[in-house]
Amino acid sequence: MTERNYTTVNPCVMCQPMGSVMAFKGIESSMVLMHGSQGCSTYMRLHLSHHFREPVDIASTSLSERGAVYGGSENLKKGLRNVITRYHPKVIGVTTTCLAETIGDDVRRILQEFREEENNADDVHIISVSTPSYEDSHTTGFIKAVDAIVRHFTEYGMGNDIFNNKLNVVLGENIAPEDTRELKRMLKATIGPRSFIFMPDTSETFDAPMTGKVEKIFPGGTPLSEITYMKNCAASIGLGITSDNRAVDHLETKYNVPAKRVPMPIGLEYSDRIMSVLSEIAGSEIPEAYRKERGRLIDAMVDVHKYLYGTRVAIYGDPEMVLGMLSMSLENGMYPVLVAPSCKTPAFREHAQERIDAMNLDCEVKIFEGLDFDAFNDAVKEAEPEILIGNSNGKYISQQIGIPLIRVGFPIHDRVGAQRILLMGYRGAMNILDRITNTILETKDIELEKKWLQNKSNDLQESCCDLRSAHMQPH
Amino acid sequence: MPEITNFVTTLEERQPYIALKQKVKGETFLACDNTSIAGAMSQRACVYSGARVALNPVTDAVHLVHGPIGCASYTWDIRGSKSSGKETFRTSFSTDMKGIDVVFGGEKKLAKAIDELVELYKPPVVFVYSTCIVGIIGDDLEAVCKAASESNGIPVIPVKSEGFKGTKSDGYKAACEALKVLIGTKEGNIRSPYRINLIGEFNVAGDVWLVKPLFEEMGIQVVTSLTGDSTAQSISECHTAQLNLVQCTGSMTTLAKWMKEEYGIPFRKVSYFGIEDLSTTIRETAAFFGSEEMKQKAEEIIARETARIMQEVRRIRSRLEGKRAAIYMGGAAKALTLIKGFRELGMEVVIIGTQTGKKDDYLQISYEVKDGTVIVDDANPLELAELLVKQKADLMVAGVKERFLAYKTGVAFCDFNHDRVVEFEGFEGFLNFAREMDSSINSPVWKTAKSNIRDSVDNRAIKAEKVPGTHIENLHEDAAIIRGMEA
Repeated sequence: MTERNYTTVNPCVMCQPMGSVMAFKGIESSMVLMHGSQGCSTYMRLHLSHHFREPVDIASTSLSERGAVYGGSENLKKGLRNVITRYHPKVIGVTTTCLAETIGDDVRRILQEFREEENNADDVHIISVSTPSYEDSHTTGFIKAVDAIVRHFTEYGMGNDIFNNKLNVVLGENIAPEDTRELKRMLKATIGPRSFIFMPDTSETFDAPMTGKVEKIFPGGTPLSEITYMKNCAASIGLGITSDNRAVDHLETKYNVPAKRVPMPIGLEYSDRIMSVLSEIAGSEIPEAYRKERGRLIDAMVDVHKYLYGTRVAIYGDPEMVLGMLSMSLENGMYPVLVAPSCKTPAFREHAQERIDAMNLDCEVKIFEGLDFDAFNDAVKEAEPEILIGNSNGKYISQQIGIPLIRVGFPIHDRVGAQRILLMGYRGAMNILDRITNTILETKDIELEKKWLQNKSNDLQESCCDLRSAHMQPH
Repeated sequence: MPEITNFVTTLEERQPYIALKQKVKGETFLACDNTSIAGAMSQRACVYSGARVALNPVTDAVHLVHGPIGCASYTWDIRGSKSSGKETFRTSFSTDMKGIDVVFGGEKKLAKAIDELVELYKPPVVFVYSTCIVGIIGDDLEAVCKAASESNGIPVIPVKSEGFKGTKSDGYKAACEALKVLIGTKEGNIRSPYRINLIGEFNVAGDVWLVKPLFEEMGIQVVTSLTGDSTAQSISECHTAQLNLVQCTGSMTTLAKWMKEEYGIPFRKVSYFGIEDLSTTIRETAAFFGSEEMKQKAEEIIARETARIMQEVRRIRSRLEGKRAAIYMGGAAKALTLIKGFRELGMEVVIIGTQTGKKDDYLQISYEVKDGTVIVDDANPLELAELLVKQKADLMVAGVKERFLAYKTGVAFCDFNHDRVVEFEGFEGFLNFAREMDSSINSPVWKTAKSNIRDSVDNRAIKAEKVPGTHIENLHEDAAIIRGMEA
């Protein structure tokens, strides 16, 4: 909708506390207490429940006018007490909102007081993260919370300082539970089953099996004892390359744990990168099973190359996912005519360009960072893609323009199975390539049918229709 | 009267909010209408959310959220309301306040945002919602909106919905205040001697379109429905009605009261859900206008429509008889009408609660439900989960947050909130509701949900051992189980 300077229309991002929640939900026995008004926690619960199709509990300090005027200390302490009483968590993530930040609550001091005042406060790790909603986006909220968790547990003094020869794997962006399972499978096969610490791990917490029992806090998540030992690890891998991974940086500078950053393993090239890094770290060959998987992926790529070559795609969503999908579409000969990560990051453009330059592309690739969907809509109309790839918020554009949408990323509200979309590794690439190709084939089927029907004479068309209705008659 | 008991394990402070309906033993009132307790995991949202859900269905308005991006992000097109005209209300507009706006104030940005949107979308009205930080940094929303109204020549109406300043109910009030500005500003287009408004009707899944024709058939003009499928024009004319029918009383009674004082329009509290309540509404409306012809028409409609759906309702009812329902609704009006609806399907209510019920509502509820029903205000997930199990509920009717909680306890679920895509109001709607009850409760998945691999395999093995020669039956059973699992 032409030039706008003051309004955001149909946002691509959510606020920082959302990212923080997603990080804490991947930690063993953790609850989030959102310091702000009642609505924030409820809206985020709704949003997350819609996507993961799981109950999601997020407590709120339910700040009212009184709290806003006299400070939220009373509410925060009461909220902590009640969460401890009702949920018995081992960790409480206190994440702030715009309200708490604007009234200027000194959360650290309040938590200090709470620890001094309460007897049972020692049994629970209370970790605060400053996530004002008017700064950055959910992507930074995630990175900040992961960093806060790692700092807390490494500084807490629990555990020991004995070198453990394990590998830290720290996410730089929230990923689906299915992808978490896939990554852990890859790590088990290369590094060994108990040789890595994966954080945060939502594979069980956001995709909990039905047991007939309602759990107050779903089992799963990165074990706290392991987070404590992250400082003693042999190396860290930060998954994601568009933003700084504060947690692995901190582990490197403070505890000399060498850090390596790799892109999310989406598509062949990026999956190769992580596999070679992992086999290097493990000092062993890439396992036979994975060489076969890779071979199968290439086999699949050969199968679909004609359908995909030159297909104009527009990719949007969170930056690491978008970078990965860009890489995958390039290596399959698609034309990523429009690439729109939801927020601006330090290194997206550079890495995207590196991949684009590696190809001999016969189209222009437009990169826009931090657009809203309304501006993205304009860009789509100009770039004329044939397929959209991204979260379900692109459905309006897809419906309006009449092009298919391949749903990946967060949030996906209007289809089932978002928690089980496999995107990463060789198997993920195969899954997504199949989905994209089949979508193209379905569209082509319909187009071809129309085209042939047009070429037929009216008589023929009628008999065609007769034939079809005859087929539809129940026998 | 409901009696407060320690029926569920919960926080000491929460106990007064949960009661068991029992034979009268003196007056006990359920605690309600308070702000939520910190850390108690309330299912409620904030003042802004109340205002947003009540006002958002105005189809051709620009709904501009003055605040950081989150508030707009999470409420983008969540209402499930349908429009027969413009779809502007499904677009999310935000001033996307940043740190710099918090420091220096957001008034200028807001003024420019309004101008920009009016220029681009040419809406007949702009609603500007304030959020938490606007209330803290003290942007003068009223002044900005007043100036913008004058310079743009359309109503730009502030909605005072700072998230922390009260509860969701206060948000409803803020929405009503905003509507008042618009009401009575245009001449009406009078097409019938009998005119009504459907107040507190949000056209979720297209409900209005199954209700409005019933009144039209009686010769009544429906001036507007508030706010589902309403437009700035229809709202500004709605003072020409002679009667207001109020359905969602929790959110919009204040507006009806105001219209009574301001324009002398009386109101009736009604429901379009369930055969009993809907028939009463139709009859009372006809009685209000007093026309014999209309009264006769009303009876005709009720008889015809009931006959049309009854056969199937009866068939479904036989599959639902005796099932136990839990109700957890935003407002009390819907909870109350649901009790009757369930009765019509032969089901009983064992748990009933709301987010925003008032003292009188709970009293009314306690008259309607039978002994042994749990009544709860501002419930939280742990209480609800425990109640579902203790009260042996077969089904819960509530909103999205409760859906997966019910599923995890192995209880069927029905969404009566923003997310539903089939109409539940009107005669046809009740049939839809009955069908949904059937598909929710009688799906084989609930047997599967309670199964485990060993049990089912062992049982079949034992059966086969004990009764030799029945292997064919076992095969049938296996096939049934497999079909159930596939379904």
